Amino acid sequence: MTSSDMNYLTIALPKGKLFAPAARLLSAAGYTADGLSEDSRRLVIANEAHKIRFIITKTADLPTYVEYGAADVGIIGKDVLAEESKNVYELLDLKFGLCRMVVAVPEALRQEKLTDYAHMRVATKYPNTAERFFRDAGIQMEIIKLGGSIELAPIVGLAEMIVDLVETGRTLKENKLVEVAQINQATARFIANRVSFKMKFERINRLTEDLRILAESEKK
Amino acid sequence: MSRDQFLPQIPYGTKDFLPRDARRKRAAENALAGLFARWGYDEVVTPTFEYLETLTVGVSGDLVQSLFKFFDKNNAILALRPDMTTPIARVAATRFRESVPPLRLFYLTNVFRQEQAQAGRQCEFYQAGVELLGAGGPAADAEVVALAVAALLEAGLTNFQVGIGQVEFINGVMAESGLTVGEQQRVKQCMVSRDLVGLGEILAGSSLSAAAQRLIREIPLLHGDDKVVSEAYRLVGNDISRAALDNLTDIRRLLAGYGVERYVTFDLGLIRDFDYYTGMVFEGYTPGLGFPLCGGGRYDNMVAAFGVDCPATGFAMGIERILLALERQGIAPPAAVRDAYVAWGDGGLAQAIAEADRLRRAGRTVEMALEACSRTEAEAARAAKGYAGLVYFDGNVAPG
Repeated sequence: MTSSDMNYLTIALPKGKLFAPAARLLSAAGYTADGLSEDSRRLVIANEAHKIRFIITKTADLPTYVEYGAADVGIIGKDVLAEESKNVYELLDLKFGLCRMVVAVPEALRQEKLTDYAHMRVATKYPNTAERFFRDAGIQMEIIKLGGSIELAPIVGLAEMIVDLVETGRTLKENKLVEVAQINQATARFIANRVSFKMKFERINRLTEDLRILAESEKK
Repeated sequence: MSRDQFLPQIPYGTKDFLPRDARRKRAAENALAGLFARWGYDEVVTPTFEYLETLTVGVSGDLVQSLFKFFDKNNAILALRPDMTTPIARVAATRFRESVPPLRLFYLTNVFRQEQAQAGRQCEFYQAGVELLGAGGPAADAEVVALAVAALLEAGLTNFQVGIGQVEFINGVMAESGLTVGEQQRVKQCMVSRDLVGLGEILAGSSLSAAAQRLIREIPLLHGDDKVVSEAYRLVGNDISRAALDNLTDIRRLLAGYGVERYVTFDLGLIRDFDYYTGMVFEGYTPGLGFPLCGGGRYDNMVAAFGVDCPATGFAMGIERILLALERQGIAPPAAVRDAYVAWGDGGLAQAIAEADRLRRAGRTVEMALEACSRTEAEAARAAKGYAGLVYFDGNVAPG
């Protein structure tokens, strides 16, 4: 199934911590469906009355679903968008899910300036983001891509540094890591497929405006 | 056929068109070639590879990055063509100096880009397109858009939309805005990467008034029917943007004459390469395909880069994308025509050849058995190959 049915709007939501606030926000805008939950065993959850379909994807895959038009729109963190650099419309900053992409090292390896870390090994789930950051800073690094538990890498000597997403910084502290630089800040974004945005313009634009108002009032 | 386990690979981004796909591709291409010819366009075929420096004339950085490059025996750098617009501009500037404008040319060919494969676009992919050179007015742009609509219809699509915009509209807004050159670059970069959040952030950090910021933020949302143009006219005060809107209105009026206006939507936020296009731009979309089917517009500076001042407009469409859209929309591909299977028993080959020849001259599609077989075997072979009829010569008597 694709988004070829012009009457339906297919919305992709990511598993994980953004799911609940994203589903809540959409619901407030009138976009919801019976049985829409993260642990749903159904892959596609439809609301036939309102011609809405939800699909729930793995976080890193969400931009791909939207880029190919398998979903018309989606909600995803800017961290994932920046990492995957897919060709999609980034329509709206939804302001929730704030976290920061940071560079961290074990306390003992802390250096005076960023360039002193040159040629160290960096473990991360976000190799493109890390690569870009260090390249722009004029530093060559050895990037090691991992799928998760990044904090483990410096402990066992797989890498000296990490680039990872932090919300509160507690995980860093627990693993005796200190933040040495912030790469960027990320919040949830409302994105759209480039063709869907044109062909279903009225509906997507109206939803964007509704979400904008909701996101701003929630922030206050 | 049983050389076990021997599976040679083909490079990333390439594909084989097996008979079913090749037939669909051929049918689409024949239909398009016929259409372009009926509109007075002549086909040109240019080299698959050219000198790098020729192919990069007037082309954006992104496209240059994606070229397949190699050396000739004198170590000159060659590249596979990434599109046909530059080769045609070269041809127009160097080979048609004496001809009477305008020049109408079309092509159907493969092009090559080293990039992440997309839906209906591998690294080698096929394009059909036209270039209308030497004509600057809205009539030329309208002809090209109308021809693109006709081409999508000719290919068999019924459900699609063409959005038309005008790069000068945005350029006028930028020039009027009072943004610094650096800010303008960043704003355009955000528009090209469709990052409307980033666009808002740049504007919020600029010295623009709230109203001026809102105008630029709204450009991507100026989308719809004629009302959008009058709305945009109210929003902008500068002559460049207004001239762009007048140009779109003229084109739209001409498109109504072609009877294709119901496929056309105004989209002032339509973004194509700013460094390349100089006027009207357009893209074609269909439901169920997340990427545009075709795109084009006016590029008046490109041919000048080859030393001849020559306004130009045109479009390219992705053949594989059209085939993919047809398939997804359940539009039946042409069936293979298989009229007769001609088989023979011992001594019947000469008769069989004569009959196959007669049928083929009469326009039938005929396959012939290459070894003697019984009538039962021949019938089984006919059924397996999907031929409508069997003609069998047993070598003694005339066929029954």
